[in-house]
Amino acid sequence: MHPSLIVRSGRSAWKGPYFVSFPNIRDALANNVAIKTKARSCTILPNFVGIRFMVHNGKDYLPVTVTQDMVGHKLGEFSHTKKRFVYKVTKNK
Amino acid sequence: MVHVLGVQLPDSQLAKFALTHFYGIGHHTAHRLCARLQIHDTCKVRQLTANQVTALAAFLSSPATSPNIPRVPLASLRFRPPPVSTPPQALLGAKALLAQTSAPNSNANDSLKKLKIETDLRREMRENIAHQRMIGSYVGKRHAMGLPVRGQNTQTNAKTARKLNRVERY
Repeated sequence: MHPSLIVRSGRSAWKGPYFVSFPNIRDALANNVAIKTKARSCTILPNFVGIRFMVHNGKDYLPVTVTQDMVGHKLGEFSHTKKRFVYKVTKNK
Repeated sequence: MVHVLGVQLPDSQLAKFALTHFYGIGHHTAHRLCARLQIHDTCKVRQLTANQVTALAAFLSSPATSPNIPRVPLASLRFRPPPVSTPPQALLGAKALLAQTSAPNSNANDSLKKLKIETDLRREMRENIAHQRMIGSYVGKRHAMGLPVRGQNTQTNAKTARKLNRVERY
């Protein structure tokens, strides 16, 4: 993920948003099944609202429930890739 | 000291620089505002007439909904005033001059209409940050942690972000 690209809304408008067509979207909406995906750069479209995704972060799949406010953003923004930095004193002196 | 909308403008400063004292107005917008209100470049704040100050305050109180500012026709560089002896009927009427100049504020891309200052701007920024935090995005998390948001280095040099980045920032 490129934070600077996200902040300045990376892609030109004339190209249209980048998205991935999920085959099991109707099934997910109807039965509330989670969709496992590695497509972090997929833009969230209005017809994704209400679906639970499991978005890859390099190692695990993190749950993301899509709401109306998330529509223009990408799936990867909601699945953090780094562990939070915690300072621990090393034993080696 | 002239007071406009809660902001003091120092008397001895040029008007186009004094306007930058507003939160949300920088040099470019200040210059454009002066042009819109027909305040010339070297006009100091103490030389502004009461009408100009009220027009400025009226515009800045709500730029989006303010009425169009009429443009007074100015003399061109090569203008020579007609001799005193000409009869009044021969002089060019103000109506004819006004008809020549096009409406100044009718452009749909008028960025001065979209101008936000002070409390409106701060509210918009607070809402943007709160929105990012509410949806749980990366940007929102970085604001919450007080770290750089736009992918800057954190191994060194994150002092400003650590000092200023908050969710309740403005």
